[in-house]
Amino acid sequence: MTTYILRRLLLMIPVALLVTVGIFIIIRIAPGDPVLTYAGEDRDPATIAAVRAELGLDQPLPVQYAAWLSRAVQGDLGRSFQTKQRVVEAITERIPVTLELGLAAIFISVTLALLIGTLSAIKRNSFVDLLTTSITLAGVSFPNFYLGLLLILLFAYVIPGNLLPPGGWTPLSTDVGDNLRRLILPAITVATASLAVNLRQVRSSLLDVFGQDYVRTARAKGLRERAVVTRHALKNALIPVVTIIGIQIGAIIEGAIITETIFFIPGIGRLAVQAIPSQDYPIVQGVVLVSALSFMLSTLAVDVLYAFLDPRISFGGSEA
Amino acid sequence: MARTFSRAIAFFAVLAILLAACSGTTSPGPAGSAATGAKAAYGGSVTFAMNSDISNMDPMLSGLFVDRHLMYAMYDSLVRVTPKGEIIPWLSALPTVSADGKSYTFKLRTDVKYHDGTTFDAASVKWNLDRYRLTKESLRLGELAPVDSVTVVDPSTVRVDLKAPSAPFLSVLVDRSGMMLSQKTVEAGGADFTRKAFNAGSGPFILTEAVKDDHYSFKKNPDWWGKAANGDKLPYLDTVIIKPITDGDVRLTNVRTGQVQATNAVTGKDVPTVKADSSLVYQEIAGIGYNSLVPNRAPGFTFNEKRYIQAVNLAMDRAELLAKGPAQGVGAVAYGSYAPSHFAYDASFKPFEKPDVAAAKKLVADVGKGPLTFELLVSSGDAATLQFAQLLQSQLAKADITMNIKTLLFNEIVTLQQQHKHPGMTLIGWSGRIDPDGNTYDFNYTGRPNNDSAYSNKDVDALLDQTRTATDQAKRKDLFLKAQQIFVVDDPSRIFYSYNAAQLLTAKSIQGFQDFPDQLPRFETVWVQK
Repeated sequence: MTTYILRRLLLMIPVALLVTVGIFIIIRIAPGDPVLTYAGEDRDPATIAAVRAELGLDQPLPVQYAAWLSRAVQGDLGRSFQTKQRVVEAITERIPVTLELGLAAIFISVTLALLIGTLSAIKRNSFVDLLTTSITLAGVSFPNFYLGLLLILLFAYVIPGNLLPPGGWTPLSTDVGDNLRRLILPAITVATASLAVNLRQVRSSLLDVFGQDYVRTARAKGLRERAVVTRHALKNALIPVVTIIGIQIGAIIEGAIITETIFFIPGIGRLAVQAIPSQDYPIVQGVVLVSALSFMLSTLAVDVLYAFLDPRISFGGSEA
Repeated sequence: MARTFSRAIAFFAVLAILLAACSGTTSPGPAGSAATGAKAAYGGSVTFAMNSDISNMDPMLSGLFVDRHLMYAMYDSLVRVTPKGEIIPWLSALPTVSADGKSYTFKLRTDVKYHDGTTFDAASVKWNLDRYRLTKESLRLGELAPVDSVTVVDPSTVRVDLKAPSAPFLSVLVDRSGMMLSQKTVEAGGADFTRKAFNAGSGPFILTEAVKDDHYSFKKNPDWWGKAANGDKLPYLDTVIIKPITDGDVRLTNVRTGQVQATNAVTGKDVPTVKADSSLVYQEIAGIGYNSLVPNRAPGFTFNEKRYIQAVNLAMDRAELLAKGPAQGVGAVAYGSYAPSHFAYDASFKPFEKPDVAAAKKLVADVGKGPLTFELLVSSGDAATLQFAQLLQSQLAKADITMNIKTLLFNEIVTLQQQHKHPGMTLIGWSGRIDPDGNTYDFNYTGRPNNDSAYSNKDVDALLDQTRTATDQAKRKDLFLKAQQIFVVDDPSRIFYSYNAAQLLTAKSIQGFQDFPDQLPRFETVWVQK
């Protein structure tokens, strides 16, 4: 197991390098000049030249990449063109926010998917099944930004009492209660996107497992249906669900981009949204690198988790 | 001629001294504390929403308009401006100007300390101005280019010598180029100062917390020197919070639910709603910025032919664009680059008040190259701009002018435009400057950095040069208007179609908030009605 994990970690290095090369080239071949964005309305030619030199953008691309990489391996991802903030600092101070939002969304999504998915599978083709899947599909059909706005308007103008504020963020360490109040609407917005996928996966996995011999055997032994579902069927049905959840954890940053913008939450998604149009190369490169690493690490975690969920899976290599 | 010029400068120098004496260096500019006439109350907090986040707190490196929202709360500048656009004393009395117009002497306040406890004095002014004008990556180089040297005369007196007379010079000291910061804090901040400018200013509020993309908190500066017109010590508020909220609907919802008490960005479609809401107060005046179409007049491009630009000018219905476009009537129709709050504004200058389709068609026919077809570059992802472009497209079609709309990233458009490679026109505005020079010179003078239309007209260049050396405002206005007649009508550089609106939406309990044409909030006179 340790060897497997080490091998996978080593394999991440070339993948991460490829990602950095890819994003480095892609954002630089995109049309537009980041120095003009930085300079804003003040475009004195001498200033433009000085800023270009200061940002290192007057160097050939391979030189720029080598300089960036040599600093990156030492943990320095440079400074934002726009704000001059260290990229590492910009990302690390936003990670807790995005992580909290993402994990809350996954918690909501998985909990509801397990409850509704199991119910739908047990009551297959019933009115309950039809209703729950229809509602979920309707929910996921709403674009994120639209659902977010609807929720904001609902709690601002329809539901009295200002129960849930229309955006903003209070860190968990500052005020737990206010943090949760501000977390609920954006977490629901993010969760809705993945709810239908998780629900359908739970439902179809359970239906698949219900047809297996060992479930029939359990039922034939006279076990109560609740025991059949919870003790035998659900555990095995969860294996593909774990895969999907793992991918969703890895994709937290992508999932938060729009929601963080609508609810003006200071997370990594919003950082990326601001950096991309202004071609703030160091920030974009940093966010993409962190996003790629989180994806790879969560995939590895899922693979490792398989071994615990399913004893048939081994990391020992071929025994033939 | 030279003698007349010297006399004129001497007259204005004396006038400036008298004005400074009348306003006094100990009772500065903030005014208008209580719009309702009620006695202003101390204490309380205001949360203000701006429409995007700042990039930089260092006035030297700031390139975005929004940055100035914070700066006006935390920094003082040498002089400031009234809502009517008049320059008033602030950290300095209005300067005395030498007879040749090249030397400005600033008498400074002596009761000012920065938030870090260091003293504001002449040495500090020299350090700030030299930093802005001599640091190679400074974004203030262009504004302070006329400065030759800065000399400390005594601890409360600074002399700025210019390379040549420059009438708009004083106006640039109103804003970032004139903002004074503590040398100690700036140097201690190093590269992180740009976003952690704590205690660097001397302004009415002290920055206490800066969370990018979320909020910026300020507390009252109890030692601030400013007083209201009624003698009240300013500021009134205990705290100010400024939040960036990019989505217009969310921003408005936050105001209407009381999470935010003021904003200066209300989308056109929401203006009727906020006007009808009795819990809110909506103010709107014409701003100093304008919106324009920028043709590429470089040789080889379609709009090198000026008659084509004149034809587009004639075919446009500006009133309809303002009323039925995304602005929904917010702002004002523009024909030139001087806004109503500029002294050079001429309300009777309406060269294209009504569309004249027949005249537009005739001009295109006179060129003799068949129907006019061109491409308008529009920023992608901006639904409002696209809607505007489509409305314009339909107007021009009536004059058989085909305007193809192409969407590109904003940054790409700016790059193409600056390199004079955009094939037809772009749709780019300007946030405006308080002196008409700031809306004119760099956009129309041959070879200047913001001359994106590659425009060149010797008569305009000569007139604009004269606007910089003339000191008499009436004379300057005359020169500006002569130039405007050329660069708008006779040989157009751009097509101006609307002025920005300076909006201010506040909760009814918020008092003393004044709407300025530059659209920036001033918090020192704001108070909360209990």
